[in-house]
Amino acid sequence: MTRLGSGGLIDRSQQLRFTFDGKSYAGHAGDTLASALVANDVKLVGRSFKYHRPRGILTAGAEEPNALVELGTGTRREPNTRATTVELFDGLVASSQNRWPTLALDLLSLNQLLSPFFVGGFYYKTFMWPASFWEKVYEPLIRRAAGLGRASGLPDPDAYEKATAFCDVLVIGSGPAGLMAARTAARAGARVILCEDDFRLGGRLLAERVEVEGRPGAEFARSVEDELAAMPEVRIFRRTQVFGTYDGGTYGALERVADHLLAPPPGVPRQRLWHIVARRCVNAMGAVERPIAFADNDRPGVMLAAAVRTYVNRFAALPARRAVVFTTTDDGWRTAQDLIAAGAEVSAVVDPRREVPDSIMAPLARSGARLLRAAKVTRAIGGSSGVKAVEVAQGGSLLRIEADGLAVSGGWNPQVGLTTHKGSRARWSPELSTFVPGSLPEGMRVAGAVSGDYGLSACLRAGHDAGSAAAQDCGFAAASPDVPRAEDEPIAVAPLWHVTGGRGKSFVDQQNDVTVKDVEIAWREGFRAVEHLKRYTTLGMATDQGKTSNVVGHAIMAELTGRPMEDVGTTVTRPPHLPVAIGAFAGRHRGRHFKPTRYVSGHDWALRHGATMVDAGQWLRPQWFSAPGETDWLTSVIREVKTTRLAVGVCDVSTLGKIDIKGKDAGVFLDRVYINRFSTLPVGKARYGIMLREDGFVMDDGTTARLGPMHYVMSTTTANAGKVMQHLEFYHQVVWPELDIAMVSVTEHWAQYAVAGPRSREVIQAIYGTAADVSNGSFPYLACREIMLGEIPTRLFRLSFSGEMAFEIAIPARYGESLLGELLREAVGRGGCAYGTEALGVMRVEKGHVAGNELNGQTVVRDLGLGRMASSEKDYVGRIMAGRPALVASDRPTLVGVQPVDSKQRLRAGAHVLALGAATTAENDVGYVTSVVYSPTVGSWIGLALVKGGTAQVGTRMRAYDPVRNGDIEVNLVSPIFVDPKGERLHG
Amino acid sequence: MVERGPLVLRPASAIPELCGSVELSRAWVLACERHPQLATVIAYKGRRADVAARLKDRYALSLPDGPRRATRGASALIGLGPRSWLFQRETGPALEPELSEVLGDAAAVTNQSDGYVVFRLTGPRVRDVLAKGISIDLHDRVFVPGCSVGTTCAHIGVILWRLEDANDVSVFELAVFRSLARSLWHFIEESAAEFGLAVTPAC
Amino acid sequence: MRIPCPYCGSRDLSEFVYHGDAAPKRPDPAAENASELFYTYVYLRENPAGPLRELWYHASGCRSWLIVTRDTRTHDIAGAVLAMESAS
Repeated sequence: MTRLGSGGLIDRSQQLRFTFDGKSYAGHAGDTLASALVANDVKLVGRSFKYHRPRGILTAGAEEPNALVELGTGTRREPNTRATTVELFDGLVASSQNRWPTLALDLLSLNQLLSPFFVGGFYYKTFMWPASFWEKVYEPLIRRAAGLGRASGLPDPDAYEKATAFCDVLVIGSGPAGLMAARTAARAGARVILCEDDFRLGGRLLAERVEVEGRPGAEFARSVEDELAAMPEVRIFRRTQVFGTYDGGTYGALERVADHLLAPPPGVPRQRLWHIVARRCVNAMGAVERPIAFADNDRPGVMLAAAVRTYVNRFAALPARRAVVFTTTDDGWRTAQDLIAAGAEVSAVVDPRREVPDSIMAPLARSGARLLRAAKVTRAIGGSSGVKAVEVAQGGSLLRIEADGLAVSGGWNPQVGLTTHKGSRARWSPELSTFVPGSLPEGMRVAGAVSGDYGLSACLRAGHDAGSAAAQDCGFAAASPDVPRAEDEPIAVAPLWHVTGGRGKSFVDQQNDVTVKDVEIAWREGFRAVEHLKRYTTLGMATDQGKTSNVVGHAIMAELTGRPMEDVGTTVTRPPHLPVAIGAFAGRHRGRHFKPTRYVSGHDWALRHGATMVDAGQWLRPQWFSAPGETDWLTSVIREVKTTRLAVGVCDVSTLGKIDIKGKDAGVFLDRVYINRFSTLPVGKARYGIMLREDGFVMDDGTTARLGPMHYVMSTTTANAGKVMQHLEFYHQVVWPELDIAMVSVTEHWAQYAVAGPRSREVIQAIYGTAADVSNGSFPYLACREIMLGEIPTRLFRLSFSGEMAFEIAIPARYGESLLGELLREAVGRGGCAYGTEALGVMRVEKGHVAGNELNGQTVVRDLGLGRMASSEKDYVGRIMAGRPALVASDRPTLVGVQPVDSKQRLRAGAHVLALGAATTAENDVGYVTSVVYSPTVGSWIGLALVKGGTAQVGTRMRAYDPVRNGDIEVNLVSPIFVDPKGERLHG
Repeated sequence: MVERGPLVLRPASAIPELCGSVELSRAWVLACERHPQLATVIAYKGRRADVAARLKDRYALSLPDGPRRATRGASALIGLGPRSWLFQRETGPALEPELSEVLGDAAAVTNQSDGYVVFRLTGPRVRDVLAKGISIDLHDRVFVPGCSVGTTCAHIGVILWRLEDANDVSVFELAVFRSLARSLWHFIEESAAEFGLAVTPAC
Repeated sequence: MRIPCPYCGSRDLSEFVYHGDAAPKRPDPAAENASELFYTYVYLRENPAGPLRELWYHASGCRSWLIVTRDTRTHDIAGAVLAMESAS
């Protein structure tokens, strides 16, 4: 154990048990998985991506490249979790990844011997030839050997959800700057949301031995938190990472609601994805420390200097008992002080600078540490269990200094990610030797280390000012300035990117195993732009997106090319700033709830009557009704068709779109959107209409009835109801705003049922009794009327999709189920039945009616044999474009019927039509089969097809070729109307 | 013609399962299903002032000129769009014929009583539930009683409005297309689960 | 993205349907060169980098067609008006 006896922000009274690679350990409440591993002296936590090199913990935050673990087991196993941000809980199970068979003995580390093949661009060089190896050999090989963790491969048992929050001021980060921004804005009266990725507020205040207003930093953070928590207009989101900046002041954030628990409590989602809409934002995300590249700088035990302070001060765990500090910043010297204060030994502080202020060195004067200036660490010596010694070059001589840990400080990289998501570029600051935010997204301010203000006092001041300004922008007067008193610690940095001369690999990007040499190879081979460097070497890819490595890599490229950093620049980052589970983006919309489901009034009724339901857009419709004893769908469908054609059938057609169109220009409007005329339609009559898109292709069809001089009701197909409404609104509001009409969807108000078959009139008459006379004379084909059924208004139409005599009756939806029951009772009494969409489809194909398969956006009215409907005496949407030569060409595929020559053979929709004997080539393709059904009336499978020459080809024999399902049969091209071609039945 | 007795048709709920839900002892969110009479009113060209005058005359209701809800007694008028409104009345004679007569040729009146189901939601955590589906700022001082919006809730089209507080707790109503009521209810159940959800026959 | 609907106020992008450049107007179908004019109207669009007046449909709100002025480079929205009340 390296746990200190006192101090830190852990609760020693709460012991938490956890396992890592099957071995049991204990930590405390307040630990992260990483800090608990440090406290248990576990140094080796993973194997690297390509070379399977042993790796330890490099950082104490979300930028961690190495300490990625698989968390949880079974369905809850999650790969690539950063141990440095995982909040420890009792029962946590973690394991290392990318090793085989065990972490300590990883046979795949033999990859290192192959390292000449793994250099920059190796994917493009090594796995080129032969091409037949790409999928069978190379890909499986790469996937097995190189990689991160394993997905569980099982359905995720947890729930995710999405939510939206609004505020005046969003504050990102709760370090000194963020806390001050939130407090100042909140005190001014603004609605504030404060997001903190950590489970505890305070940022670096928790990790440094600093004082604010004479109190320890963590205490100050707690006092601000308490104040904020008591303010009703402040919301504090802990465990919430803001991962993206979007347009219009919208920010994406992920709240890890229950990741710190063994499993989410009932009703609680595991994670919640927030859309935060903020009028102003104060970005106080801080900065992350960057390493220095030197030989074997990836040994377990090499850790960033600020991370060492975090483990020592916040978690009371010693990453090293005897440390060397390698720092090119003033800041790194504090690590040595903190280690010594915690009781560890510091063998040496190595600083490449010639001059280091006395004030910084003085506190270490009597510590026994060797203070080496103008010196560099050239190599970390040791094995897979960690650092054993450090090789240091000073003035031409090499020293070996014994140590079990090496703290490295190469300066700070502000977390500019969120400032660049909308396209602006980070700017190189020569003074700070780092990239700082460039132009900011509208509404965003930056405060504190994210903008290069590293000192504590500067952070507090900047946070205060940003919070105050943001609140003022939202109309809240800031209270009198109140900036707490604190010191600005020394922060000078003299950049050092890498150290040459050591024997061994010098890593720039530890997550992707990219070395200094790889950057050199990229340079030599011409991949010098930073974006090319990234793609060629993988520098800055994967889960950490180069948070610790990009700037070092780009600086090395700048050295190689001899260009200043301003010119070299840095890569563009896009959301998400940190990895987000796909499940969080899906939220609750998965499985059946991927999209909303629409239920007809008769849904439960249908289920009670043996219906199998089918998705029709968002709707669920009865597909067929299984009678007792029926076990296959075709039997049921055949019965339904036969029954309807012989007696009567009842079908729910409520899902068809219904639009009320009223006003004095309603007729004119319909004339313009339909190819045929409706202004002359008599009241009490319905007419079939077709509407086109402006490009001349068919958009939708349906029947429109005239219920009054200024009142039409249009029906649309189920699939296109929304699209048609939008189309009509477009022409009304944008194109012809002068027309005086009113349109509203009434799809939901009316349930509607088709009653079809020779005995349908009897059923309808029985329902209406004396309320209406529906005899042929009084209510002929295409009649419509509003009829009161007692107190209930109904609409009756004489329409037919099946080719039989048929009616459609509409009733307010609450009575739908009840009416269905009555209709079925009357129908059954006459030998009838209910039928579903399958039988509906069979009967419409038998009758040659087109539907969605034919109205597929690629057909014009002539293709469908409906050209004669188009009026030549008026303009309508799509008329001009439908006249284009290619759309009136005689060889366009047009509608025909198809029937297998051998009536036992199965025809398939999608089959291509070819001349007999023609080779099966695309050039010989003359059309395809759009719809296929088994027709009990004809006694075989029949279909509709779009075939070149169409009607002229009726009577010829062709081939229906279906290579997907091994179908290749001879078919006769016939008239598309298989049943009652003269239309006697529907007028009956 | 077949002889038979008078036809009796019964109304049915859009969500049968709602009726059977159990009341919890400690409810954070209360929900119930309501069926007011509804009709859309769309003003014809240049007739907005007429519509406003006639509704004022007959119902003492001011026509909202934005997404708001005006109430008077059992009647309410909700702004849906630049020239369309939803008239809502809890009781009384058939709404559509009456409104048609009142508005004459100034507006198109269309019965929608069966087109929507209205859910009433209340409770100290009701905003937390709604925030999971609706991207509208429902803050107490922003979305005050009398505000309404047409928007989506979990990808389902809804009309949402806020009633006067009851016992210092905010009360919202959501009108949803009847066919989508079950899907919206599923959203409410799942989203309120962490707070506790109770269903009452009337609230 | 949020779009300021003149009727409904600021709303999330997901409530809207995009239709593109608002400049093209449906040509006179009786014009001599109607087929050319319609071809241009249906298919040809400028693709400017900068402010553009665009048609958007507030499908999940007030069902109004809007003319929204959006900078295609930044998504900054300068304003929105109802298409029905737009003079042009």
